[in-house]
Amino acid sequence: MRIMSTPRSLDLDITNYCNLRCKYCSHFSSAGDVNSDLPAEKWLDFFQELNRCGIMTVCLQGGEPFYRKDLPELVEGIVKNRMRFSILTNGTLITDEIAALLASTRRCDNVQVSIDGPDAPTHDVFRGIGSFSKAVEGIEILRKHDVSVSVRVTIHRENVHYLDKIAQFLLEEHGFPEFTTNAVSYMGLCRENTGEVQLTVSERTLAMESLLILNSKYDGRIGATAGPLAEAISWMKMEQARSDGKGEYPGGGYLTGCNGVMDNLAVRADGVIVPCAQLSHIELGRIGKDDLKEVWQHHPELKRLRERHNIPLSDFDFCRDCDYMPFCTGNCPALSYTITGKVNHPSPDACLRDFLERGGKLPDSNIANLS
Amino acid sequence: MIIEKTRPVANPLVVLREEFDDWAILFDPDTGKGMGINPTGVFIWKLLDGLHTTIDILEKLQAECDNVSEEAENDINDFIRNLSEQGLVGFEVKGG
Repeated sequence: MRIMSTPRSLDLDITNYCNLRCKYCSHFSSAGDVNSDLPAEKWLDFFQELNRCGIMTVCLQGGEPFYRKDLPELVEGIVKNRMRFSILTNGTLITDEIAALLASTRRCDNVQVSIDGPDAPTHDVFRGIGSFSKAVEGIEILRKHDVSVSVRVTIHRENVHYLDKIAQFLLEEHGFPEFTTNAVSYMGLCRENTGEVQLTVSERTLAMESLLILNSKYDGRIGATAGPLAEAISWMKMEQARSDGKGEYPGGGYLTGCNGVMDNLAVRADGVIVPCAQLSHIELGRIGKDDLKEVWQHHPELKRLRERHNIPLSDFDFCRDCDYMPFCTGNCPALSYTITGKVNHPSPDACLRDFLERGGKLPDSNIANLS
Repeated sequence: MIIEKTRPVANPLVVLREEFDDWAILFDPDTGKGMGINPTGVFIWKLLDGLHTTIDILEKLQAECDNVSEEAENDINDFIRNLSEQGLVGFEVKGG
């Protein structure tokens, strides 16, 4: 298997701390939830290594990246070492000063702010009182300074009934060109609050249909790489392929659902190198101690993850006699791990057969043009 | 004063990212743009140090590779001009 000499990008948990405790946060109660943050000097030394490796972009996440008082120092280090960056944030700690700094670098690709409702009651219900107004204020500050801002909506049991209002709020009232969606996943704190936060089968059915209708209404301005909208599109295509008697999809029938380890790595807040922020239990090395290029090219765990693509779904009892197998990719290995305890297993959460057997319904194919 | 542009020099801000054995990307972090280059391009890029002229680069290429074509000097000049137009290369300026 040919792999790049170094990854193109890295996701960096620059802090384990956060001012919020959202009830579905994937970070807390995960292996990424470590006790300590690295001092800035360690990150700055690591950025020099990333420069030597030709890394193009880093994504700063956490925890809450803006929680770090020395964030300007880290940003300066990223710029000095010839990289671009993006930030994932709850948006509540953004100030004029930091927004001005981000803008001045001209290297910030995007700041992604989480907005989970059209109003405070819906957004704050699982994120904490006051978080909506602060996040909206944070967005306005970033926009005032011409920093590129995107919005991610995480769909849960409370906001699933207000998706139309969320779309109206973001696309019409705030004039965002687009926003992306995901759903609460069985990771981190969600595992402790599943019944309260995670969509039921009927709510998932509702979310899929609502998002397809809204995406049609707003000319495709709603995006998703996971969650109900992505599932709706993917599952409807699978159903169409099955009913048309098509052979198989490229990559279908094998655990090909994730390509992350082909061009990306992550680092936990304690400096441990991991394949992905969601696979933070797989420890590959430590920054400042282990050579990143060596880890990337030769670590056996990474090799194993890359070879996951060769594992046929027919190997799993879970997939036995499934008509959708030739079109299925097994989806996210991290979600498979949190549900089954196995990385090399299809994610039960992404199983179309299981969804239908539990009473789920696919949206009417007339709703969306899937071509 | 006659200004002579003779010795191209790579923009130090630009990242040479050697991805696979035979290909690389020149990445400009200020614009976010990348440009794919082949092994010959990588060879040339590494000589854009403000010390080598196009002729120097051609001679090194001929020493390193078999069957370097007669048009190679033009190709090198075209390659460097293209890089220059994209802000990836400048020139050591000799006043006279």
